[in-house]
Amino acid sequence: MFFQIDFGDTLPIYDQVVRQIKFAVAGGVLKEGELVTSVRELARELTINPNTVARAYHRLQDDGILASVRGTGLAVAAGAANRCREERVELIRLRLEQVFAEAKQSRIDPHKLRELVEQQLAEEPPSPPAPLPKGEERTEHGLS
Amino acid sequence: MPPVIRIQRLSKRFGAELALNEVSFEVPPGVVFALLGENGAGKTTAIRIMLGLAQPNSGKAEVLGLDSAKQGLQIRQRVGYVAERPTLYEWMSVEEIGWFTAGFYGPGFLPEYVKLATQFGLPPKKKLKTLSKGTRAKVALSLALAHQPDLLVLDEPTSGLDAMVRREFLESMVDRASQGQTVFLSSHQIIEVERVADIVAILRKGKLLLVEPLDELKAAVKRLIITLKDGATTMPALGGHVLSQQWQQRQGQAIVRGMTDGQLAMLRANDGVAAVEVHPTSLEDIFIAYMQGNGAASSPQWSRNILQEALQP
Repeated sequence: MFFQIDFGDTLPIYDQVVRQIKFAVAGGVLKEGELVTSVRELARELTINPNTVARAYHRLQDDGILASVRGTGLAVAAGAANRCREERVELIRLRLEQVFAEAKQSRIDPHKLRELVEQQLAEEPPSPPAPLPKGEERTEHGLS
Repeated sequence: MPPVIRIQRLSKRFGAELALNEVSFEVPPGVVFALLGENGAGKTTAIRIMLGLAQPNSGKAEVLGLDSAKQGLQIRQRVGYVAERPTLYEWMSVEEIGWFTAGFYGPGFLPEYVKLATQFGLPPKKKLKTLSKGTRAKVALSLALAHQPDLLVLDEPTSGLDAMVRREFLESMVDRASQGQTVFLSSHQIIEVERVADIVAILRKGKLLLVEPLDELKAAVKRLIITLKDGATTMPALGGHVLSQQWQQRQGQAIVRGMTDGQLAMLRANDGVAAVEVHPTSLEDIFIAYMQGNGAASSPQWSRNILQEALQP
């Protein structure tokens, strides 16, 4: 899979790695049982601190998304796809929570807010999942 | 495990200038440690003292358990060092300097140098004086890595290099770190530091402002945007340690360290406060806030006669 790490982002790098792997598992880019890139390789590919990658992988193991395969490395755990899909919903919920908090702070009328949500839902149905990224250049992972 | 580098109350004076002022820190094994600071902050001086290339006026430096003041040669044998502007024998070719340098190290040096030089695509027969800055930097890095050092010290490793060479430098650094080697780098490339460092230290005008694991630092420092109500005239007191703040009429922005939830709730409950937004910070935000902190604004001392001349109509 390809990562898109934003180094200027205020979201910690390890968190970005965790999220992107979860989304890849949810979207079927990484299949259950598939091995993930080793810590050393991924650190090199993204030119980030290996401890950051290790930390992301630990977190994914704790969350039951990755499991170690004896002698070979880490693979996507059984049942991970479902967990990731559920988590995707949770992430969207958190984003909405922020939006609603902002609306409340700006004293936007709740009726107006409901109207906006209905409007969004009434628009075109959500498009099918995006196709897999094509062979991007490695260098796109970011020298700034 | 004992620290790889231990610096205790190190001071160095150049004439009237205090280049290092009671600097202390430790670098544990297996981490990427980044020393951040503006040009002239004292980063290179600290590195030179660590390697026994300069003597401090007071304080002590130890590297790999050896005393920098007395055992500089042994330290340099075990450390890979790339200086900011590496001095190389210009009349030698890429392969000659490898062969020459191998004489100072063990028998494994030359094969490893050849391997690295090949990986970097260095032209073996070319004289060093004909090489571009980026290629020279790769020669210096290959020489520094070929004896498989326990510690890699890089002084401004990527400054002035083009994107591809920088990328290769960062890749080798990350790779060394993956193998458990300790990397110490000085830099003012904050975005690069943010992606590779475990621990950051900030040096300003010879004074060490902080040494801290990067993720803890980022978790502790927040950016607040505070909006006051119409007619509010007094700035509310912020909790925690305020690193910097700016106000424009009714809105203020502050970089605050270690503010508790209770302090935040108190600020939000303040009569004059309309809203408080809390945002995470990037290392750049934090660095700039520290640089703008107390003492940064001290105005430079111009000689009076120069000033008078400059002010003549």
